[in-house]
Amino acid sequence: MTAPAASGPPPTSVPVATSARAGSRRARGWGGAGRGQREGRWALAFLSPWVIGFVVFTAGPMVASLVLSFTDYDLVNSPRLVGTQNYHDLVSDPRLLTSMRNTVIYTVLHVPLAMLLALGLALVLNRLARGQGFFRTLVYLPVMTPPVAIGAMFLLLLNGRSGLVNEVLSWVGITGPAWTTDPAWIKPGLVLMSLWTIGGTAVIYLAALKDVPVQLHEAATLDGANAWQRFRNVTLPMISGTIYFTLIVNTIASLQTFSEVYTMYFGNAATASSSGDAALMYAVYLFQQAFQFLHMGYASAMAWLLFLIILLITVVQVRVARRRVYYEGG
Amino acid sequence: MGRSRSRSVVGAGTALTAVTLAACGGVGGGGGGSDQAASSSGGKVTISTMGFGLPDEIATVRVKTYENSAKGGPVKITEGGFDEQQFLAAVASGNPPDAVHLDRAKVGTYAARGAIVPMDDCIAKSGIDMSQYRKPGVQQVTLDGKVYAIPEFYGMRLLISDDAVVKKAGLTTKQVASGDWDTITMVNDKMTQGSGRNLKVIGYDPRIPETLPLWAAANGGQMLSADGKTASLGDPKVVEALTFTTNLVKRAGKYSEFKATREGVDFFGKDNQYATDTVGAMPIDDFYLNVLADVSPKAGFTVSPILDRQGKQINYSGGSSWAIPKGAKHPEEACEFAKVMTAADTWVAAAKARAEALRAEGGYYLGTNTGNKVADERIRTEVFKPTGVPALDNGAKVLQQAQDSAVTLPATYAGSEFEKAYTDAVTRVLEGSQTPAQALKQAQGEAQKALDAAAKSRQ
Amino acid sequence: MATSVGGSAGATAPAVPVHRNPPSRPGMSQRQHQLLTRGLWSLSILGASLLLLYPFVWLVSASLKPRSQVFDNSLVPNPFAPENYVTVWKAAPLVTWMVNSVVVGLVAAIAVTVSSAVVAFGFAYFRFRWRGPMFALVLGTMMLPGAVTMVPTYLIWDRLGLASTQVPLWAGNLFGSAFYIFLLRQFFLTLPRDLFEAALIDGASYPRLFRSIALPLAKPALVIVFVFELRASWTDLVKPLIYLRDPALYTIPRGLKAVIDQFGKGGESQWEIVLAASVLTTLPMIVLFFLGQRHFVEGIATTGRGGA
Repeated sequence: MTAPAASGPPPTSVPVATSARAGSRRARGWGGAGRGQREGRWALAFLSPWVIGFVVFTAGPMVASLVLSFTDYDLVNSPRLVGTQNYHDLVSDPRLLTSMRNTVIYTVLHVPLAMLLALGLALVLNRLARGQGFFRTLVYLPVMTPPVAIGAMFLLLLNGRSGLVNEVLSWVGITGPAWTTDPAWIKPGLVLMSLWTIGGTAVIYLAALKDVPVQLHEAATLDGANAWQRFRNVTLPMISGTIYFTLIVNTIASLQTFSEVYTMYFGNAATASSSGDAALMYAVYLFQQAFQFLHMGYASAMAWLLFLIILLITVVQVRVARRRVYYEGG
Repeated sequence: MGRSRSRSVVGAGTALTAVTLAACGGVGGGGGGSDQAASSSGGKVTISTMGFGLPDEIATVRVKTYENSAKGGPVKITEGGFDEQQFLAAVASGNPPDAVHLDRAKVGTYAARGAIVPMDDCIAKSGIDMSQYRKPGVQQVTLDGKVYAIPEFYGMRLLISDDAVVKKAGLTTKQVASGDWDTITMVNDKMTQGSGRNLKVIGYDPRIPETLPLWAAANGGQMLSADGKTASLGDPKVVEALTFTTNLVKRAGKYSEFKATREGVDFFGKDNQYATDTVGAMPIDDFYLNVLADVSPKAGFTVSPILDRQGKQINYSGGSSWAIPKGAKHPEEACEFAKVMTAADTWVAAAKARAEALRAEGGYYLGTNTGNKVADERIRTEVFKPTGVPALDNGAKVLQQAQDSAVTLPATYAGSEFEKAYTDAVTRVLEGSQTPAQALKQAQGEAQKALDAAAKSRQ
Repeated sequence: MATSVGGSAGATAPAVPVHRNPPSRPGMSQRQHQLLTRGLWSLSILGASLLLLYPFVWLVSASLKPRSQVFDNSLVPNPFAPENYVTVWKAAPLVTWMVNSVVVGLVAAIAVTVSSAVVAFGFAYFRFRWRGPMFALVLGTMMLPGAVTMVPTYLIWDRLGLASTQVPLWAGNLFGSAFYIFLLRQFFLTLPRDLFEAALIDGASYPRLFRSIALPLAKPALVIVFVFELRASWTDLVKPLIYLRDPALYTIPRGLKAVIDQFGKGGESQWEIVLAASVLTTLPMIVLFFLGQRHFVEGIATTGRGGA
């Protein structure tokens, strides 16, 4: 078998790019005319599971929700067409703006922090000489803990008066804020909690790190590169495809964040009644509109607005990432 | 990477429930036609429920009573609380349960959409005596003159004060339990210790926003018209109630600190606020008396009736009910089920079993509050026995007397949004971003808009 | 742990940040510097471990406390209340639910791993006209909140007559899932094309390229997909709650939900039961992860890439 690492590409040209352009560049130069057709058929064969699933189970509900966004629909009676009324209402809905602002703040804080910490954890794990299995399990442990337990525990840990977090802060002379009740601190508190479950991202990074050929590091070391230079010029480019993936996926997930926030601040009567809208995330508000206020039409319009926003952000991310890759490669 | 699919193992929030459609026999749902035939034969039709659990004898004995009754049949109950997503998905697919157990506050919303059907015909046919149920309970399930559900439990509020805190402030329980708002302000001042970050004792916790309807009623105010169609959150009496209660909270300092203190307490545990003497008094859900009876019966607390500003008893009631979803396969049996579940004889049998079980394990039985007056009366005389713990016996007595004084918010087309509107208003005032008048004016706008929209789409 | 792992990790590991650095601080020997760094290194690992471990220890400890002490912040249950577990055990046919969860979870995880890998390979390897737009469509399915597609999806299963069965819990996985397709595609993209070229010249078919080259080399990623989906299926509450109507078909989260609602009445949550149930649910996953995680590393190393 070929040892790809030895003959592999220089690290900086690792195929990170996802664009068709990069793909065609890679593919250029091999295969004759007949091969293109044969490839096309095989491509379709490989994609067919997804295509079938999309047509049967995904496209229908997606289109249905798009159609419903132009109706007044309460899930009980037949939908009634209302034109673009729901979209007009979106513009003048103050809670929609609040939830959007909250979600953006959460995402902007959560995504970079989560990615940095997860990468740090993965690097540490990758270098551990002993106990790798144990630590890997440890990192993934929070992900396996049920959200309901996490929510309950963090309400306790983050409590402004008796919580452990503030107690620890007080040891170093910091008076901690009321993380769970002060509107200004609820979102940072949620981010703090979210950082505990970065194990999923860390594990993905770890797998990518294992993919970085040792030989590249050794070669770089021989060339006199220090640890930082090796990280910057060998590791980072080699895992940039994975970083790109986590950036996009984490952003999408973060903009739709629901479970933990709902459990903590909206799930039960005790906390739901008085947390105000400081923790109101877009997906939580959407859920309220859909299933509590029975405005499925409006909720569908909200969903498609979010869809467009996420699409826009993702396109920007794809563009920026592609350019970065080109600069590095250049 | 937590996408919402991992919502939770045990999902505290979105209480979801099961239905076991016997008709579907578990696998390959959809069916049920064959059972229609069975129901006409007068034989044992199996009905299914959603939103109901079997936590104790009160539940199990009543279900057994129905199953063993002449017109009864097997009940397929899968335990768990009501969940909107599951209920609505089931209704949308045309395959709902026969009976649904839900909060009375939600009845209006579902009734307005036709997700649950009027029960007047079945009430007449099954001979359900509506006069046995307490008026506020019936009011909560009546929309546009039609009854949409049968009231079940009857929850209320109790004023529970901490003896040590009251004594330390040089007050008497009688003063603390006053209906006079100046007196309440005074006792709050005296009982509160510290403020803001150093808040040690919360004097008089009004428990807003959830109790705003109670305080408004105590002030003679009205938040919603009797037909549930017109909000009146801007009513000066409501504004006054909000001003008064938010000022009680402000005495303790910043709301976020107040709330952190309140939430920092081990509410359900042995270090609760009465055991640790960290609250003076608060109007709290009546079930909390059972919590205290369980974890700290000797903590030194006194239960008092809640009084309005004229000094008359007042209370606010809420609770569960049984309704029949649109498209239910066995509405007649479901109606009979609702009848038996809430009948006085059934309640008494269940209360007896519960009391015996509790006493057997050394616990205290303090009563069962039902929406059925006759049942309450009989439970009080036939089942309840003094426990020998004065604080608890006094509590049970206060609770029994409170039952007749309760009011409630009428059924409305947009219950959730109405509640959200006034709840948010309270929060805005507590957080200092609006005055009570401003906040309620905004809430009135939001609530009326939701009510009008719901009324419009109903037509 | 495989020796190749220790080898590849060890090559760079223990010495790392220090070794190649020029001695930066005057007056400090390289050895002292190394000791210091190593100390800091161990300390940070210890700190991170404590942070990660604490909440779970809290969870286990709280689940062993009587109700009146669940939230008392102490990590040592006193008195010790193992009866919480007995209560949960007695209240529910846990073995039935466990078997259901294992079956549903395994089918769901295997289905999604295989199907996503096939589709991801299609996107990563082949070059065809609509590749860009189609992949955008795949990503697009992740961008619409599930709350609005839930009811239409339910209605499809209902029309198929499968709404009250376990089928909707895993059948969607037969067609791949956007998240995993994207993840696996990124891994396939890092594989050098030379490998496939050489095999093609040797006359290998495309399915063979996929099976014999792509799959083995992407094993760590495949294990991740499998583990992620197993966990997701294992902890999913929403789908089982909406679809399952027969207690005999319940998965663990669905079953425990019923138990917990039963114990939490009148607004009073019985947290000790909730938490004991949480621990019971989580433990099998932890054991499984511990046993499976070494494959994250073994993948590449054992196929002769990293360790060569």
